[in-house]
Amino acid sequence: MDRNAKKGGVSYAKWGYIFILPFFIVYFLFTFVPQILTIYNSFFENYKEGLTQIGPNFVGLRNYITLFTPDSAGTINILKYTGNTLILWILGAVPQIVIAMLLAIFFTSYRLKIKGQQFFKTVIYMPNLIMASAFSMLFFTLFSTVGPINQLITSMGWADATIDFFAYTITVRGLISLMNFLMWFGNTTILFMAGIMGIDQSLFEAASIDGANSLQVFFKVTVPLLMPIIVYTIITAMIGGLQMFDVPQVLTKGMGMPNRTSMTLIMYLNNFLSGSKNYGMSGAISVIIFIITGILSLIVFRTLNRNYSGTEKKHRRRNLPQNAR
Amino acid sequence: MATVRLEHIYKIYDGGVTAVNDFNLEIEDKEFIVLVGPSGCGKSTTLRMVAGLENISKGELYIGDTLVNNIEPKNRDIAMVFQSYALYPHMTVYENMAFALKMHKIPKDEIDKRVREAADILDITEYLNRKPKALSGGQRQRVAIGRAIVREPKVFLMDEPLSNLDAKLRNQMRAEIIKLRKRIDTTFIYVTHDQTEAMTLGDRIVIMKDGLIQQIGTPQEVFNEPANIFVAGFIGSPQMNFFNGVLKNEGGSVYALIPAANDGKGAKIKLTEEAAGKLEGFGDGKEVVIGIRPEHIRVVREMGENTIKGTIDVSEMMGSEYYLHISAAGKDVVLRVPMTDLPAEFRSGIPYGTEICFEFPAELIHMFDVESETNLLK
Amino acid sequence: MHANSIKSDSIKAKIQLNILRAIVYIILIFLTLLCLFSFYMLIINATRSNGQLQGGFTLIPAGHFFENLKNAWTDSSINIPRGMLNSFIVATLTAVLTTYFSALTAYGIHAYDFKLKKFAFGFIMAIMVIPNQVSASGFVQICYKFHLTNNYLPLILPGIAAPIVFFYMKQYMESVLPMEIIDAARVDGSGEFRTFNRIILPMIKPALAVQLIFAFVQSWNNYFLPGLLLTDSKMKTVPIMIAQLRSADYSKFDMGKVYMFILLAILPVIVVYLILSKSIIKGVTSGGVKG
Repeated sequence: MDRNAKKGGVSYAKWGYIFILPFFIVYFLFTFVPQILTIYNSFFENYKEGLTQIGPNFVGLRNYITLFTPDSAGTINILKYTGNTLILWILGAVPQIVIAMLLAIFFTSYRLKIKGQQFFKTVIYMPNLIMASAFSMLFFTLFSTVGPINQLITSMGWADATIDFFAYTITVRGLISLMNFLMWFGNTTILFMAGIMGIDQSLFEAASIDGANSLQVFFKVTVPLLMPIIVYTIITAMIGGLQMFDVPQVLTKGMGMPNRTSMTLIMYLNNFLSGSKNYGMSGAISVIIFIITGILSLIVFRTLNRNYSGTEKKHRRRNLPQNAR
Repeated sequence: MATVRLEHIYKIYDGGVTAVNDFNLEIEDKEFIVLVGPSGCGKSTTLRMVAGLENISKGELYIGDTLVNNIEPKNRDIAMVFQSYALYPHMTVYENMAFALKMHKIPKDEIDKRVREAADILDITEYLNRKPKALSGGQRQRVAIGRAIVREPKVFLMDEPLSNLDAKLRNQMRAEIIKLRKRIDTTFIYVTHDQTEAMTLGDRIVIMKDGLIQQIGTPQEVFNEPANIFVAGFIGSPQMNFFNGVLKNEGGSVYALIPAANDGKGAKIKLTEEAAGKLEGFGDGKEVVIGIRPEHIRVVREMGENTIKGTIDVSEMMGSEYYLHISAAGKDVVLRVPMTDLPAEFRSGIPYGTEICFEFPAELIHMFDVESETNLLK
Repeated sequence: MHANSIKSDSIKAKIQLNILRAIVYIILIFLTLLCLFSFYMLIINATRSNGQLQGGFTLIPAGHFFENLKNAWTDSSINIPRGMLNSFIVATLTAVLTTYFSALTAYGIHAYDFKLKKFAFGFIMAIMVIPNQVSASGFVQICYKFHLTNNYLPLILPGIAAPIVFFYMKQYMESVLPMEIIDAARVDGSGEFRTFNRIILPMIKPALAVQLIFAFVQSWNNYFLPGLLLTDSKMKTVPIMIAQLRSADYSKFDMGKVYMFILLAILPVIVVYLILSKSIIKGVTSGGVKG
């Protein structure tokens, strides 16, 4: 009897493990192992040249050294592509955040009482769900030398000849950023709106009774209280920007034209992976991207943790008044 | 037979916190036991251990003659009513009540019969096809009880079932639980923080604090002979008044002195023979805590034996009686005085600051040890 | 005099407000047009023949929609019906797995107390923002090694571990799932898996619906990994075909057909979106985290 009571009992802890097990098995097999393999690969020479397989041979840090060695034209490609990615991201993200903030304020303004909000929200959010590669293909056809935009420009006499949008760094980068902007500003607007609506309305009222004008209310009340969401948005957008691939890949046929000025880091990675299956070089690039993301993730995790502590012990007991009659 | 026996039950959490400490109780068949205490006292944890929702860290739990420590809730033959009712929102009232029976593979027509019977008892037949969302708080409460009734369990567990209801409904449902209990006649374990519920519902009451049982007894016992200061203060409303005092032998009688009373002159309360007998072992100057319930203090015209003087701070008219808050002996003393016991000039209202004398009837005084806080007269 | 100046002040404020409102509406309309222009052009151009498209710019639809549809649908080099079917299969299975297992994982952490709970939660939060591209090199290598290319399993199965969806579910459960429901189910005699499937899942239906849609869309649009793993033309999904369109010798193409391909690629998502936009937009906010 005694022995019986000591051991086991009704404990549900094991179900917690059972329920989370599939997640961790899949994560281990499909992400963790590949991750380790990627890092491991980065120290090996391992690629295909035509039909011949080269390696795998251990080469130490040679892949990394290759990455940071200037090519015949004197450019260090990985830095150039990091720069491209950053520029493309900033060109899209800055207007994205500014416009989203403006719209969020418009939509939540009690004084403005904007009508048709549901319609506007539906429209501006839509591009977020569009297949990025198809969106990019669409822009390519629209802006190609024989596309409707050029037809419009020439027929209206705005330019003497057709403009080759894909021949200039500024126009290609502009188009990519425009697409990224269109795809993400609606999403950000909705997040900001939720943030603003989450602020206690009486704070705005109190500020206006205290004599603050609407600009002061915005900078002294709204922005500080929205700061966690703003920071969060910027950082997640940054990590998203780091992954930029579909749009420039399809728009420039994977070449980052002109002169690889719109080649992003993931496109670079893709080039090594798709043809020659160069696991060594792609591994080294991945490690570098991983380090950059790791730093950014840490920041996200910190900001998230400050606002959200999800693991505190659940309080089953409610605070009931003691000695209630 | 559905006795419930808890033998040296402990609940110790991983962090080392002891939520329930050496809980011993033998519940008789068809007894209505109430576990009562302030929040965090371990009463709900105890109930959840009986239900099998919480692991028992140490000790043995028997339902009937079966050791059930390792038996899952569904096989303990218990049913439970939860504080939040815990109705399944996507199921109708009927489905909610039938769910447990379905889980136990009871034939369909039997399920139907039991659900309709329970619905009839609880007067919720017309809501059987509604979802919980479409019901009022009181109706949901009935469904929650109905869901437990249909199980025809050996033991009926209730975890603060009335605390989500407003005051009026709560009184009404309390009366219904008393009726229900007569009708279904099984063993009940009822958890509440409300001493009124405990007093009115329980055959026996278990009063808990910080994981420890303070006293087990009938409502009369815990009210008249509280085991210690905590029980004395917890049971009864308004709370018992406490004074610091010392014992004194004088001329063959035992007195309790309250030095702070009567502007520092002290009050002298003569104890009964019986009390004196129980306190015999203590010498002069023994420090005690004197307790007296608000309804046991008598307002008197003038100072005399066993009286204290004070001034009225607040008087609350409660209908047929007054709650008087009196500043006396450096304390806020509460008196519960029936209208008819008040001097005629006070019946239409008592001005603040009025001086008033009140008397402690010697036979209704409680006496506690200063250190151990236990009842010295029990 | 005083009353007058107050009155004129309030008129002034009203005019100011109306001017502001006009500016706001102009901005909103401009952004709306910017968002819709390319899609409008897409639809218009999908109704025009190749010849008409070479001829010049117009905003007026022509009558070759069904002809383009037929040409695109029966194209010999880009088998779009097959691609759509493939995409549909992959996206549906991924969405179902992602949603179900994310809810399961979230429930495991929400409802149970166990030693590694805090660690498990912290771990999932930490990996939430790591893009899967950084493990792509090893992933592709494993797939080639174990002959898992031109196979949908490596595209579908990883959906079981989706930290962002997990986080959404966890938050949702915190707001709608009282622990007493789980206790009640236990007392009622329901096993843990049955409780999850029969009681918990129905209670979190709105969250499931939103995440099913998001996961479907994400998988439908996914290009990077499928592009690396699916080389057999019978197995290709829509985004790969679209990218292929770009790589092909563009000038030889019937442009009406090209627009139709693009339209077909994005249409299913747009249709679903337009039907469910309200709850989808709500879903973006209630999750707080997306993208």
